[in-house]
Amino acid sequence: MTVTEPAPTSRFVRADGPDKVTGSGRYAADLTLTGVLQAAFRYADVTHGRITRLDVEPARSMPGVLAVLTAADVPDVRYGPFVADRTLFARDVVRFEGEIVAAVAATSAEIARRAAAAIVVEYEPLPIVNDVEAALAPDAPLVHADWASYGAADPIVRDRNDASYASITKGDADAAMADADIVLSSRYVADASHAAPIEPRAVLAQWEGDKVTIWSSTQVPFDARAGVCETLGLPANRVRIIVPHLGGGFGGKCGFHVEAHVAALARAARRPVRLVFTRREEFVVPDRRREGMVVELTTGLRGDGTIVARTGRVIIDNGAYTADSGFFSQLAAMHVAGPYRIPHLHVEAHLVYTNHQPSGSVRAPTAPQACWALESHTDELAAAAGLDPVEFRRRNVVDTGSEGPSGQTYDEIGLRRCVDAATAAAGYGRDLPDDEAIGVAVGWWPSFTAASGAFVKIDGDGSAQIVTGAQECGTGAVMTLRQLAADELGMSPDDFQLVYQDTSVAPYDMGATGSQTLFNNGRAVVHAAGQVAEQLKRLAADHLEAAPDDIVLADGQASVAGTPSRTVSIAELAGIAAGGELLIGHGSGAPPSAPALVGSSCVGDVGMAAFVAPQFSCHAVHVKVDRDTGVVRVLGVSAAHDSGTIINQIGARGQVEGGVMMGIGQALTEGTRYDDAGRQRNPAMLEYKLQTCADAPPIHIDFVEIPTPDAGPRGAKGLAEAPNVPTAAAIANAVAQVVGRPVRQLPMTAERVWNTLTGEDGVS
Amino acid sequence: MSLLIATTVDDALAAMAAGARPIAGGSDLVVGARHGKAPLPDSLVAIDRIAELRALDVDTSGAVRIGAGVSHHLIESHPVLVERFSALADAAALVGSPSTRHVGTIGGNVMNASPAMDTGAPLVVLGASVELRAVTGSRTMPIGELWIGPGRTAASPDELCVAVHLPAPASRCGSAYVRLEYRRAMEIAVVGAAASVTLAADGTVTSVHAALTAVAPTIIAVAGLEHLAGATVAEAAVAVGDAARQQATPISDVRASDRYRRHTIAVMAQRAVDAAARRAAGERVPVPVNRALGIGAATGGPS
Repeated sequence: MTVTEPAPTSRFVRADGPDKVTGSGRYAADLTLTGVLQAAFRYADVTHGRITRLDVEPARSMPGVLAVLTAADVPDVRYGPFVADRTLFARDVVRFEGEIVAAVAATSAEIARRAAAAIVVEYEPLPIVNDVEAALAPDAPLVHADWASYGAADPIVRDRNDASYASITKGDADAAMADADIVLSSRYVADASHAAPIEPRAVLAQWEGDKVTIWSSTQVPFDARAGVCETLGLPANRVRIIVPHLGGGFGGKCGFHVEAHVAALARAARRPVRLVFTRREEFVVPDRRREGMVVELTTGLRGDGTIVARTGRVIIDNGAYTADSGFFSQLAAMHVAGPYRIPHLHVEAHLVYTNHQPSGSVRAPTAPQACWALESHTDELAAAAGLDPVEFRRRNVVDTGSEGPSGQTYDEIGLRRCVDAATAAAGYGRDLPDDEAIGVAVGWWPSFTAASGAFVKIDGDGSAQIVTGAQECGTGAVMTLRQLAADELGMSPDDFQLVYQDTSVAPYDMGATGSQTLFNNGRAVVHAAGQVAEQLKRLAADHLEAAPDDIVLADGQASVAGTPSRTVSIAELAGIAAGGELLIGHGSGAPPSAPALVGSSCVGDVGMAAFVAPQFSCHAVHVKVDRDTGVVRVLGVSAAHDSGTIINQIGARGQVEGGVMMGIGQALTEGTRYDDAGRQRNPAMLEYKLQTCADAPPIHIDFVEIPTPDAGPRGAKGLAEAPNVPTAAAIANAVAQVVGRPVRQLPMTAERVWNTLTGEDGVS
Repeated sequence: MSLLIATTVDDALAAMAAGARPIAGGSDLVVGARHGKAPLPDSLVAIDRIAELRALDVDTSGAVRIGAGVSHHLIESHPVLVERFSALADAAALVGSPSTRHVGTIGGNVMNASPAMDTGAPLVVLGASVELRAVTGSRTMPIGELWIGPGRTAASPDELCVAVHLPAPASRCGSAYVRLEYRRAMEIAVVGAAASVTLAADGTVTSVHAALTAVAPTIIAVAGLEHLAGATVAEAAVAVGDAARQQATPISDVRASDRYRRHTIAVMAQRAVDAAARRAAGERVPVPVNRALGIGAATGGPS
C-alpha cells in the first residue's frame, strides 16, 4: 500500500508495538492455567424451533467431561441493554443458528466437542422469519411471541417484530414534496456483513473462593463485567475482567458475550476453563453482525437543485435478539437524512427481528450502508437536476452555522473543506478512460460522550504510570494517552507505563467502542495528570522558593518561569514526595453535553439525533470496471476528514487507511449470504471475502483540523469509525458512472455489477 | 496417530502400502481437518524431505520433470517454466499467499483433484502426464485421466504421485492461464481457463488447446478445437470462448451463479487464448497474466 508519508507533529512510539511485532505479546488464546479444562458449546440445530427434548446425559457420562450446563443450571435472567430479550442458554425456544443450548467443559477440546455433539436435542419446528420486510407484515410469524412482556429501556418503541422504531420529523415533508420541481425515489438493499477480527475470541475463567477472574478478548471489559454480574447474580467487586493483547475487534468484540458461560462452567467444574472460538464460531455466534438494511428514499428538489424535502424508510435486520442495536433505528434515520440542509424531513426506521444472527455495533453501525444508499440517491438527484454531483453537494451540505436535518445548528465545521480537499487530491474532473471514473460521497458520524476514569501516579524514582480503564483494540488510542499525560507534566511519553485492560485496578471506561477512547479517557488522563502537575508545582515552589503559579514543567524539569537556572528535576521532586504526600492524580471530568435540537420531533429518541462534536468526511474514489466480468478495482482513494484536532497523526492515518480498506470490502466483496433457513452460507475466510494487502490502493489523506469546543482533549473529536462511513458510497458512485446506473445491492459484487451492466439486476 | 518421516520414495511407498496417507505441505489435508472436512488420517507419512520428489529437471530436448514435492513458489519463479510453460507459472503464482506457495506442492495440488485447482488446466493444455508409483510398480497416465470426480483420482490408495512430466513445447508456442478472481490474494478460482497456442509463420493458428477450471466436476479439456488450424488468433479466441461456454457445466454456489460462470468462462477462455498467442508471437507477458493484463481483477496504477 502506498500512502502519503505522515508529517508527524510529535514523536509517537506505540508502547505495545514491540510485543505485537515480535510475537512476544500474549493474547487470550495463548494463556493457560494449571488444571485448565477446555470448553465447547452445543448450538441450535434449527434456526427457529421449540425444544421438546434436551438430554445432556450422553455428554455428562463421557470420560473426561467435568461439567455440562444448560439453562436449568444458571439463574433465570433475561438481559439486554435496550430490550431484555436474551438468556445465556436457550430457554424453550431457539431463534438462530448460533444460539447456545448447552456448554461442556472437558479435559481436552476434542472431548468437549464430542460431548457437546452427543447431547440430544429435539425440536418442534417454528416458522422461520428470513425476510426483513416480510417480518413487518401484520400476520408475520413472531420471533418473540412474548415480546410485550420483556423489559425495555424507556425510549424504545416496540411492536411485535419491530424491536425499535424511530422517526425524525421536521417541517411538513409531504406538503413540501408536493411543491417540489423534481421528485425522485430510490430503493437500495444492503446485505449483512462482519467485523471479522483476525483473532477469534477466547475466554479463560478461574474462581478463587467466591471471586472470579476472567481473561477475555473483549473490547469492553466493563460491559463484559456487567453482563457477568447481571446473568450470574454477582456484585461487580467479585468479577475481574482482564484483557490480554486484543487481536482486533472492529466492534465485533463489543458487548457481553460468552464470559458468563465460561465462568459458570469453571464454577461447576471447580477447575479453570478455557474457550477458544473457531473461525466459523466467530462468524456465526456473537451478537455483533453488521446489520442488513433496506432503504427507500424520496427527495424533492427545486429546479436549481436545492433540496426542499425528504422522506425515507429504513428497515434494519435486527436478527434474533436485540444486542446493543436498540439505537440503530434512530442512527440509521440520521444517516439517510445525511449531512444536508433539509427544511422538511420525515424519515422512519424499523429494527426488525428475524431468525438471523443478532446484529450489533460493527465499526460505525448503520452508517456505511445508509450512507451508501443516501449518497447513491444523491448522485441520482444531481443527475435529475442536471448538476455535477460535487456541485450538487456543495450547494446542499451543512456547514458552519447551518441547520442540519434534525434541527441542530453547527459551530465551525469543515464539511465543505473536506469536499474541496478530497476532490482536489483525486483530480476530480480530469479526463479518464471510459471504463474508469471518480465517485464522491460525504459522510458524518457523532462523537460519543461517556463517563471515563484514569489514575496517574509518579513513583519515588520519577517513573510514572497511567492506570486507565480504557481498552486498546489496535487503534492506538490508549497508546496516545502517554502523549497527553507527558505534555501535561512536561515529561516524555516513554516515562509512562500503561496499566490497562483490568477492571479491578482501574476506574470505569466504556471501552474500545464508539470512537470514544481518546475523546473521553483522554479527558480523564489530562485531568489526572493535571492534578499531579499541581502537586509537582507546589513541591517545586517550596523547593525553589517561588510561587506555584510561576513553576513551569518541561523536559522533565520544574523551573521558575523566566529564571531557567532555578530548576529541579521531576525525579527529585518525586523522591521528596515519596516521603510525604504521594504523587497521585485521578481524573474523570464532565463529558460534553448534547447540543440542542430546534424544530424537529423524534419518536424513539435514544439521543442519536443530536450529534456531539460531529465529524464530517468526504471520500473521492477512482475505480476501473472490467465490463466483461463486472470486476471492480479501486485504483485510488482520497479521504478528507474533519475529526477536530489530530493529536496522534500516525495513529489517525492508520485509522483512515483501515476504515477505507474495510469500506472497500463492504463495497465490493464482503457480504453474508443466507440459505432458506436463515443460516449463513459463507461463514469462512475463503467465502467471506475480506480485502487483502494486495488489493489495497494508494490512499491519500487530508485532515481538516478545526479545534472544536465541547469535544475531546485539545478540540479532538472521535475518529475510529468515521473513515468507514463514505468509502462504499464513493465507490458506488464511481461504478454507477461507468455502468450508467447504480448497482442497487451491497456488496456490489462482480456478478451484481455484471447483472447491472446487462440490465438484469432485479433487486427484490 | 502415527507419522513416519520418509527420506526415500521407497520408504514412503512401503508406508503407503501399509495404509499411511502421504503429506507434504499439508495445505489441503491439515486445513481440511481443521475445518471438519475430514479428520486427519490415523497414519501419515511425511514426504516433504524426499530429495527425489523436490527435484525439477529439464532434459536436453526441453522436456521437464517436476517432482511431486516441488512448491508453487519454485514453479512460479523457475526461468524455464516461466518462459516455456508459462500457463503453469501463471497458475502457481496465483495460488493462495506467498506462505501457501512455499509449502503447497504440485503433487498435492494434482492429487487433491479439486475442480477449482489452478494448476490443473495449465497441465492439461501443456500435455502433461503424471507418474504414479507403488511398491508393486509404476505407471504414467495423461493428467486428464487422473481426475475422475471432485476430490477423486484414478490412483489407488497405495500409489504415490512422484512427478509430473511436461513434453517440450513446439517452437512459436505460448501458453497462459487466467482466472476470474474477486481479490488479489488468498483467492480461489471462480472460473479459470488455460490455453496453449502454436502459431504459423504468418501469424495464423497452427493449433490451440484449452482447458477449464471450476466449471465441471473436474478440470476439463475443451474439445473440438482442431478445426481452428489456419484461423486468425482473434477468430480462434472467439471460437474457444464459445466452445468453453457450451462445454461448461457449472454449478451455482456462494461464489457465483451458474449463469455468471457460463458467461465468464467464455471471457476467461478468450483472454487465455489471446495472452497465449501473444506469448507465442514472442511478446513478453509477465507471469501471472492476471496481474500483467488486468484479467479477472482489472489492472491499474495509482490515480
